[in-house]
Amino acid sequence: MKNKNTPWTGVAILIAFVLMAVALYGALVFSPEEKQLGNTIRILYVHVPSAWIALVAFGIVSLCSVLFLWKRNLKWDTLARSSAEVGLVFTSLALISGSIWARSFWGWWWTWDPRLTSTLILWLIYLAYLMVRSYATEESRGARYAAVVAIIGFVDVPIIYLTTRLWNLAHPPPTVARGALDPIFVWVLMVSLAAFTLLYIILLTRTVEQKNLRREIDQLRQSLK
Amino acid sequence: MENLGYLFAIYTIVWAVLFGYVWVLLLRQKQLRRELESLKEALRAKK
Amino acid sequence: MSEYLGKVGAIIWKDILSELRTKDIVTSVLVFTVLVLVIFSFAFEPESEVIRLLSGGILWVAFTFAGMLGLSRSMAAETDKGSLQGLLLCPVDRDVIFMGKMAASLLFMLLVEAAAMPIFLILFNLPVFLPSLALVALMATIGFAAIGTIFATIAANTKAREIMLPILFIPVAVPVIIAAVKATGVIISGEPLSTARSWLLIIAAFDAIFLVLSAFLFEFAVEE
Repeated sequence: MKNKNTPWTGVAILIAFVLMAVALYGALVFSPEEKQLGNTIRILYVHVPSAWIALVAFGIVSLCSVLFLWKRNLKWDTLARSSAEVGLVFTSLALISGSIWARSFWGWWWTWDPRLTSTLILWLIYLAYLMVRSYATEESRGARYAAVVAIIGFVDVPIIYLTTRLWNLAHPPPTVARGALDPIFVWVLMVSLAAFTLLYIILLTRTVEQKNLRREIDQLRQSLK
Repeated sequence: MENLGYLFAIYTIVWAVLFGYVWVLLLRQKQLRRELESLKEALRAKK
Repeated sequence: MSEYLGKVGAIIWKDILSELRTKDIVTSVLVFTVLVLVIFSFAFEPESEVIRLLSGGILWVAFTFAGMLGLSRSMAAETDKGSLQGLLLCPVDRDVIFMGKMAASLLFMLLVEAAAMPIFLILFNLPVFLPSLALVALMATIGFAAIGTIFATIAANTKAREIMLPILFIPVAVPVIIAAVKATGVIISGEPLSTARSWLLIIAAFDAIFLVLSAFLFEFAVEE
């Protein structure tokens, strides 16, 4: 078994480290306080990227699920499953940081804000996706079931967003004045987004690799019996 | 300024979770490697 | 078209016959629903004004759980007795089977709801005659049946089916539940139905989207 630590993985990890450090510096030191948000703007530098990865990861889960059901190539299923595992971590981070941000800015932990609600449901759908696999009687069945769940979930999330939007039109939520952010905040946010995206890609490829390794080991073990 | 506590909490949680996750991945990787080695050993012994 | 409906009808009829003989689903689910409603009426004072505001939520919590119970019993009966295999061997398309099972579950759920609704209205001191509530219940139940049938099929083939169905079903059903609760609230508070128009539209859109999607995806949930 060859060591798949190709040179670019090392380079990517190095770049991710540097980007993370820059993003951290930008978020905690470089970025000034925002007029309305004050210091809570610094929370958004980790919250927004986590939420972004939560969405991207789920997009990839759904896309790969469609490809898996269509082409029946296990590699799509492996990619979908790995993306779901990494995505669940980032969705949890988005939820936790979102809730704490709400507490620090609005004064309560939870409100039925459309984005907060859709993220929570997205988190539950991720959970359902991963659980249906582990409870399936066979691996191949679990893969199919999970793909079905992912596709239904992908269609469902926008509907949830619309529904909670409508709900909040009836009961106006506390809103942040969404004026144009100063370019400086946008720049820090961009660096943060880049760092998180790269981190996601690295974690994703590592997880995929591990799953492939796992399968190889299982096959070897089978042939040994 | 009372917001700084929340700020601190979030950065602690986020970094703890991320490091923890990477840690788990690394551990898993190491375990897989070890398993593979022992399997190869067993294969060689069989031959 | 009529041939298609005939095939779907045959599957519905099969489920009705089996239900008439075993009385497996409707009776037990109805008893369950009534119990849930009774527990809620114990938990809150039925005379207070607050209960009017909460009653929509109570009704839909009860119907959601009742719907899942009915769906899981209906699909479990198919897989346990191996009759799903027989059904799949029928020379019909998978979506015909889906539509048949969906319509049968829908019918049973509606029967339960029709029987439980008067009990709900009485327990919570609401006007006894609310025809527009029946419309909301009908529409929301179609959505429940659409996603519930495919998820119950999946859940029935997993190791922990009782827990798997809620885990799959509830997150996806959230839009219908929210919209149904809101529409019910509008009706109970005596406002005209047109106030609830956008909620009804959401349920209708959900029904249409997930009927088509579930019928299409059903094939992947039952394939061997």
